[in-house]
Amino acid sequence: MKLNTMAAVMTFVSKIEEESAAFYEKCADKYPEMRDTFLSWSKENRKFEKNVKRTYFGVITDTLESNYAFEGLDTDDYTFETEVPSDASKAIETAHEIEGRIRAFYLKAAELSESLMADIPRLFKKIAKKREDRQIPA
Amino acid sequence: MAVKRLQNYINGEWVDSAADEVVEIINPARGELLSECPMSTKAELDAAMQAAKEAYPDWRNTPPVARARYLHRLIELMEDNFNELSVVQTTEHGKTIDESRGETRRGIEMVEVASGIPTTMQGFNLEDIAHGIDEYAIYQPLGVFSCIAPFNFPFMVPLWFLPFAIATGNTFVVKPSPRTPMSQSKLFEMLDEAGLPPGVVNMVNGGAEVADGCMEHPDMQGVTFVGSTPVARHIYKKCGENGKRVIAQAGAKNFIVIMPDAEIDKAMVSLVSSFFGNAGQRCLAGANLLVVGDDKTYKNVVDKFVEAAAAIRVGDGLDESVQMGPVQNAASKQRILKMMEKGLAEGATLTLDGRKPNIVGDLPEDCFLSPSVFENVTREMSLAGEEIFGPVASILRAGDLDEAIDIIHSVPFGNAASIFTNNGKWSRQFQHDVAAGNVGINVGIVAPMAFFPFGGMRDSFFGILHGQGQDVVRFFTECKVVITRWF
Repeated sequence: MKLNTMAAVMTFVSKIEEESAAFYEKCADKYPEMRDTFLSWSKENRKFEKNVKRTYFGVITDTLESNYAFEGLDTDDYTFETEVPSDASKAIETAHEIEGRIRAFYLKAAELSESLMADIPRLFKKIAKKREDRQIPA
Repeated sequence: MAVKRLQNYINGEWVDSAADEVVEIINPARGELLSECPMSTKAELDAAMQAAKEAYPDWRNTPPVARARYLHRLIELMEDNFNELSVVQTTEHGKTIDESRGETRRGIEMVEVASGIPTTMQGFNLEDIAHGIDEYAIYQPLGVFSCIAPFNFPFMVPLWFLPFAIATGNTFVVKPSPRTPMSQSKLFEMLDEAGLPPGVVNMVNGGAEVADGCMEHPDMQGVTFVGSTPVARHIYKKCGENGKRVIAQAGAKNFIVIMPDAEIDKAMVSLVSSFFGNAGQRCLAGANLLVVGDDKTYKNVVDKFVEAAAAIRVGDGLDESVQMGPVQNAASKQRILKMMEKGLAEGATLTLDGRKPNIVGDLPEDCFLSPSVFENVTREMSLAGEEIFGPVASILRAGDLDEAIDIIHSVPFGNAASIFTNNGKWSRQFQHDVAAGNVGINVGIVAPMAFFPFGGMRDSFFGILHGQGQDVVRFFTECKVVITRWF
């Protein structure tokens, strides 16, 4: 599905952050040796979602060009699997796959929202950068 | 199911109107009946005026910092209900949900700025204007003020005035637009919850009878208005005759000048948003795209602009994939179509024809139009000079900036004008010479923030002090000068 508007981008941000957070919580239950890492990621994802919403609702004004900035953003490019794999190494692989997809989404969204108030692309880039550090040793 | 009939808010109570006549409020995207707006009578306005008058003495004696605290509470309530407020705007007006959220945010900004009144209302003084004598100026409230609101920003526009009026110690009466009254009902639910003393704010739904009453009532100190130029001119005249202060923000026909060096790719989002945001129904919308330069420049600009306009998704504003909603009612659509026909008859070329809308979803066409773009428009044509207030862009050409400014001045309006260029000299010449109250440089919609006055010149503004910012604080207060000597 094409994301044309800021409102649609917000809804998608909620979806990917919520779904990935839920995935990490399930992984934390299933793989106790990585519990702390997965739970910290889950917690941070929910914080990211909150930050994005707060920024959006904080800067959106009647001048914001939010209806026209996002041509070229397609949810199909950023979907991911959320079924918890049966072994730990596969779970790590899936987690890295999710992180890669979400990071790519934020970077593309940041690029497309350059014309909006600076807070939005800046936050998108910051979230993408924070995700770069997320690594679980295989 | 019975349709909800909107109530008035008078003296801290929700009251039914005695009016027989109602206006049906219809969701323009879906054609569904939402509510009924009563056409209240002059007697109902008089009741609101009486309440406002009686509330005034205590309210003006309430310390400014205490008055500001009510506004802080209102901000909290609006933040808590941000999305609900925005959905109401989209439902009754048709704009997209992002546009409504933007309107809600801008409305909250007004209240935030007004809550700084303990600072912004301060006067000034000078010791020793003569030996042992001091002089100071204080700003005092005046009494009851009102707002006659437009349909296009049903939540935000009354907030250009109401919070500043009550923060300065006045009391207030709002007459919402009878086309989009529900947003104000929602706002008044929050004003009620904020706990303002009865009579400080009042709302009377209605039409010309209530508006005339505002302009004629002997206790009304001043009227604020946003709407069309003919009505603004009428209000200005009538308020003048009756000795009332007035801010009358009127119609517009805004030009956007594209210079040959403009970064057109970067500008495109701004341009499309300016011309077609809110379906063109805003006084800061771009209406005339004025391209300066040779044929190559012109073609580049027009091709990209038309392509972007043609790609706009039109539909119900609550659908997040939609970029432009309907116009507010079926009569507006018919009026816009008539103006387009006139433009064609005058010889303009309809390069992008949005008369037959391409709508996302199965919705009635009654209020929908897709974006339209006219080329070969000249300054003499009605397309260039008359306010259309819809998703219609007219493209004109000029040989240089001098000619472009000359064309802009051939139109009687002076609300906003923008230039897109990287050239500082052209930018300075434009901002210096152009007779428009809000000027944009590489900005498509020149909406002043709450702490700046909302400009407007020529036929786009009638009055002296403008809405918003320090201007509106002065509008709602009288300056008193005191000279003191102690023996």
